[in-house]
Amino acid sequence: MGEFKGTPATGDLTVALSNDELHILINLVEQLLELLGERNFAHHYQSDDPFAQLMAAQLMSMEPLSAPEDPVLNRLLPNAYADPDAADEFRKFTEPRLRQVKQQHLLYLREQLIFPVDHELPKADIAISDAQQWLLALNDLRLALAVRLEVNSDTFEKFELMPDSEPKKSLLAVYFWLGGIQEKLLNHL
Amino acid sequence: MSTEIEELSELDLSKFFDRPWVCIVWDDPVNLQSYVTFVFIKLFGFSKEKANQLMMQVHTEGKAVVTAGSREAMENDVQRLHEHGLWATLQREDHG
Repeated sequence: MGEFKGTPATGDLTVALSNDELHILINLVEQLLELLGERNFAHHYQSDDPFAQLMAAQLMSMEPLSAPEDPVLNRLLPNAYADPDAADEFRKFTEPRLRQVKQQHLLYLREQLIFPVDHELPKADIAISDAQQWLLALNDLRLALAVRLEVNSDTFEKFELMPDSEPKKSLLAVYFWLGGIQEKLLNHL
Repeated sequence: MSTEIEELSELDLSKFFDRPWVCIVWDDPVNLQSYVTFVFIKLFGFSKEKANQLMMQVHTEGKAVVTAGSREAMENDVQRLHEHGLWATLQREDHG
């Protein structure tokens, strides 16, 4: 799963995702949208799946929504200057737009993913109308997960040795899976 | 004469004396190497070779200067890099 076919140039780029994969992605997208302060989308997706709940707990365990001290927001909306005063001044003018751009990519991705879920299709070949938005949204999801999971250069090695009982393991698997999807998408551009 | 003086007074002399501004991209353990190269090509129109070389510099040295110019231009570059999820800052060029 997560295989791409076609190219953006010929307008026939698609990705095959299972229902589980769609649920995982939609869940991540919605949580990041909430964190970024987007509250105007309907929660089509509710789950009593323990895996989804674990992701929710991990992702939402930090500060209140859209609090600037949240490390995920800090990574997605980073300082432009090392000097804090200059950084704050710059942020005042630029952060709203940066948030908006990231929300737009995520909302677009969500729209593309939600259709087969709403129609209860067991497996979806999703036509990717805007590969750039997919790419940027996937990247922001990976960045957000990486901050919550404290990913560093040793993480893959540790992940491979982790017992299945380790709570982080399933989320790390999602993180690496997303990296694989992103790499495949890049190869199709 | 007065016109020439007016034109002169409108010149921003600071650019002749001040160090230029640079946009720096910092290494992080998350962004894929292929993605960083892709973003450099997309945003700055670099050749694949140059983009790849800068990406490797970020990866091995922890950071790389990717563009240089006016403060406004560098602020714009940083903003676009942030939109793409790269960790970027701007500062005056460091001669030290």
